[in-house]
Amino acid sequence: MTLVALVLSIIIGAGSLAYGYWQAGLTDPARWIVLMGIVWLLAHWRKYYWFSSVALLLAIVAAGYGVWREFPTVWMLPGALGGLLGWDLSDFARRLGYAAPTDDVKDLERKHLARVGVVAALGLGLAILSLFIHVRRLAFEVAVGLILLAALGLTRLVMRLRRF
Amino acid sequence: MSRSLILGFVTYSLIVAGIATLRGELIALALPFVAFLLAGYVFAPDKIKLEATRHLSAERVSPHQEVTVTVTIMNRGTGLEEVLIEDIVPAELKLRADSTSSSVQRFGTNRHLVRLPKDSSYTFSYTVSGPRGGYGFEKVRMRVRDHLAVTSREVQIEAKGQLFVFPPVTRLRQVSIRPRRTRVYAGTIPARIGGSGTEFFGVREYQPGDSPRTINWRASAHSVEGLYSNEFQQERVADVGIVLDGRVRTNEFARGHSLFEHSVQAAAALADAFLAQGNRVGLLVYAAFLSWTIPGYGKVQRERILHSLAHARPGGSEVFSDLGHLPTRLFPPESQIVLVSPLLEDDLKPLVQLRAQGYQVLLVSPDPVKFELSYLPQGGTIELASRVISMERTLLLQKVQRAGIQVLNWDVDDPFDQVVKRKLSRPPAWLRAVGR
Repeated sequence: MTLVALVLSIIIGAGSLAYGYWQAGLTDPARWIVLMGIVWLLAHWRKYYWFSSVALLLAIVAAGYGVWREFPTVWMLPGALGGLLGWDLSDFARRLGYAAPTDDVKDLERKHLARVGVVAALGLGLAILSLFIHVRRLAFEVAVGLILLAALGLTRLVMRLRRF
Repeated sequence: MSRSLILGFVTYSLIVAGIATLRGELIALALPFVAFLLAGYVFAPDKIKLEATRHLSAERVSPHQEVTVTVTIMNRGTGLEEVLIEDIVPAELKLRADSTSSSVQRFGTNRHLVRLPKDSSYTFSYTVSGPRGGYGFEKVRMRVRDHLAVTSREVQIEAKGQLFVFPPVTRLRQVSIRPRRTRVYAGTIPARIGGSGTEFFGVREYQPGDSPRTINWRASAHSVEGLYSNEFQQERVADVGIVLDGRVRTNEFARGHSLFEHSVQAAAALADAFLAQGNRVGLLVYAAFLSWTIPGYGKVQRERILHSLAHARPGGSEVFSDLGHLPTRLFPPESQIVLVSPLLEDDLKPLVQLRAQGYQVLLVSPDPVKFELSYLPQGGTIELASRVISMERTLLLQKVQRAGIQVLNWDVDDPFDQVVKRKLSRPPAWLRAVGR
């Protein structure tokens, strides 16, 4: 179950990034991104779990560069999200390796995938929402102030939620 | 690297890049990571309240006997989504299960990945075995993670258990010793004093109260003065001090071979036999340091000696490199000392000194020459060398015997009980009575 989700995440992530780059006319980087996806899959197969962190950073750099170069965000966002899911599931698969054959691994997998799915959907929804909300004029100081306020608000939110 | 650190780094990099380039899309990219981090922190376990109990199927076993360890973990705190439990097994103990799935299902393993809802418990078992020794199970290590493994905390819960792997004890029927001094209680060791017993000791004048059965009619017939009675040798218990030689230089050989396990087995068998005869037995392990088990009687003392033997390890030190520092004051004067040692050339002098101090000494010597030959390849040079060393050893043992020390040269390929029966056993009373 985890393996299927992991492979799908890597394919979707690398595929959407590569497609976005290919659409922008950068075919060589698109090929490199596809190659990175293949190497990631191979690394997981060979149990080089450390590679997933490298792949995540590469995916984020590629998505960030794409956004900066104004490639379609609709392809960059799934690329970053695929990287995040691939990185998480690769580490989860590594942790499952510690389980004994008698442990209820299926239950752990089911619950983890459900939670990761919900969080990913929430993150994706928020990201898409943020793409449609445009503030026309925002001074830098105001932006910084808003970010600080958001950080403070999030901290309070986390503290309050942890009480329940 | 910590997962939260990677996520935090990516999130802040994207946000900073978004602010620096004034691109809202970069901040939008960071939002799934923010959601991931937030979810991780919100659902991180608040208070970890875990308890562990341990049960061993047996606490006193023989070497390499299987023992099932059962560990129960109880969660008294909030629900824990992912707990990696690892019971810390002493290094010398070996898990029975190998890496195969069927083996793990059959014998269990010490590592499990589980969910622990609030007020639930999880029990697992696994099988271990190990060589002679005393092993302490101390703690269970647990790594607790949240739903998304953003936070991770390691806790170690105390769950104590003790496993003693005693040396195998061979039953010896009778070990014949003749210390100069015995104790006052009745036992099985001839006390060199006339009285009631089974073995003929001498003839004395009849005294009122003597049983008519004890009258020596033949001696009485030769005399006109009166009657004569037979006197028998009293049998009493004695003080026995067993000295186990654990010096590396006498026990350890090339390629990791060691005679020490055989010496320990011999010491265990002798201690058991002497205690079964009612004697007061003490044990001194002479290795890197002195380990002294105060003399005592009975089953409790047997336990103490076996515990001491379970922990005995060969060792070397400058101070105890030869037997010259054997603390003879530990042993009562004129008592029996049993030295279990492969013996070296320079051990002769301390042994002779022991004898001169009035101790009755029995040397049980596992044969190092035959032991080494048993695993060395056969060949001309080795055969020649072994003959020379054998002759040297025979000469050494002869010198020891000439000093009045009883010697039992033990080829460790032969069962110890048979060797003892052949060389040290005392014939039964009825056989002694007919003079055989």
